[in-house]
Amino acid sequence: MTGNAMIFEPTAATRNTPQPLRRALDGLEGKVVGFIDNVKPNFHFLVDDLAELLIGKYGVSSVIRHRKRTASVPAPEDIIADVTRQCDLVITGSGD
Amino acid sequence: MTICSAPFTELGRTQASALGHADLPIAVIPHPFGLRSREEVRRIAEQCVADIARLVCESAAGEAARAAAPASARSGRIEAPVDLDEFNRFCRACGWSDGLPLVPPTVERVEATLRHTRRARDEVIAAVAPGFGAASVEHIAANAVMAGCEPEYLPILIAAVEALADPAFNLQGIQATTNPATPWLIVNGPIARDLGINGGLNCLGQGAWANATIGRALRLILQNVGGARPGEMDRATHGQPGKYTFCCAENEAENPWEPLHVERGFARDSSTVTVVGASGTLNMNSHAKEATDLLRAIADTMAFPLSNDYYFGGEPWVILSPEHAEILKREGLGKSDVKRRLWEQSRFAAGRFAAKDRARVQHIRRAELGTIDANTLVPASPGADGIGIVVAGGPGTHSVYVPTFGVTRAVTRAVTIES
Repeated sequence: MTGNAMIFEPTAATRNTPQPLRRALDGLEGKVVGFIDNVKPNFHFLVDDLAELLIGKYGVSSVIRHRKRTASVPAPEDIIADVTRQCDLVITGSGD
Repeated sequence: MTICSAPFTELGRTQASALGHADLPIAVIPHPFGLRSREEVRRIAEQCVADIARLVCESAAGEAARAAAPASARSGRIEAPVDLDEFNRFCRACGWSDGLPLVPPTVERVEATLRHTRRARDEVIAAVAPGFGAASVEHIAANAVMAGCEPEYLPILIAAVEALADPAFNLQGIQATTNPATPWLIVNGPIARDLGINGGLNCLGQGAWANATIGRALRLILQNVGGARPGEMDRATHGQPGKYTFCCAENEAENPWEPLHVERGFARDSSTVTVVGASGTLNMNSHAKEATDLLRAIADTMAFPLSNDYYFGGEPWVILSPEHAEILKREGLGKSDVKRRLWEQSRFAAGRFAAKDRARVQHIRRAELGTIDANTLVPASPGADGIGIVVAGGPGTHSVYVPTFGVTRAVTRAVTIES
């Protein structure tokens, strides 16, 4: 047989609405930076070092650290609320 | 912003876009990051901090065009080759295949399938993680056809997609993990018999059309609607054969206790589908004739120190063969007694974990277990009711252990027959 026939596409796009674009920062000096550690191996060491460098080299005023219970669940609402309230920038770990 | 190691960057980018944040900055670090020495981590941090400082100060305007627009809930229609070989090449090029030949989801076939539900064809049953594609009834039907399903299987798939979307199942974690986890479907009630879903001999093996195609259709939905394609958002290190299809019925006729759906609060004459986030199967062959002997051996088998169930406090399952179930029933044990004894006897000393894994368990389960030392007995699940029991299979002295992803709970949904 040759030719084409009409089929239903099996794929579906997301219906999530695009969110407002993030605001670019005008620099890191004086900013509060939050970390949400996904507890993958070594990430807490990376956070230690990044916190030190952000404060020492880039003038970040303070760093707030949270650790998730495990990587494969979303951060709980209390963590989200805390970083939303306090931070200018939030950095998460994702994947391995 | 987020930090990903290199192989996980595309997952992060795709998922951020699916969630409406196409402009999320991602700082990339080398993989495997977890094996680096403390000094190497420091060097990586020095590069990473410069990337962070640059990325967060860059304007996001250039990224706006990548943001996804809201999609129609209807399945699109396109022209595809009629010739089967060409059709399958077309599907492979589109990324729609699971690696096996597919049936063309022609208008006639999909319409015939849609006649087996009264739900609107554009009703969105769930947003399927990790891409959050909107699975309408039409999309589910199209994938069912492609997997080779008979039209009357549709209501089971609708219920299964509903179940997967329950937050307790944690589909996001299961779809994007390096673990081999995949949904295992257990069908209960009259529909299992009516549709020929095998719960007896070789129920997890080949040969039953319904088992094979229903499980396969769900995999196609997870891949085509959820976007979890291997090497892209599906990050499984190895995967497992059950990712092609993993579906069976319970052998209710030979189950000496109440069937699974009744245990989970449904009427005996209702039909249900239960989804379990299964990491694999392990056969357990025992000629034991006494309950105590049999349960001790099964519990010993459950207790392995590289198990997500033990890391997280999960919900491992045991598929008892009718013969093994009968041994337990004969000695007066109910299902809850079996769960209790398996839970107690499958605890093991935390000293059996690798040191790093023990530290993980300490962090994850501190609220449940307190401070852990090498002698602390760690259970597979926070409570005895977390041990799943189902009776299936045919004659023989084999039962099956089904460890899970750990951060997942089984979910049951009623199957509505409306045609």
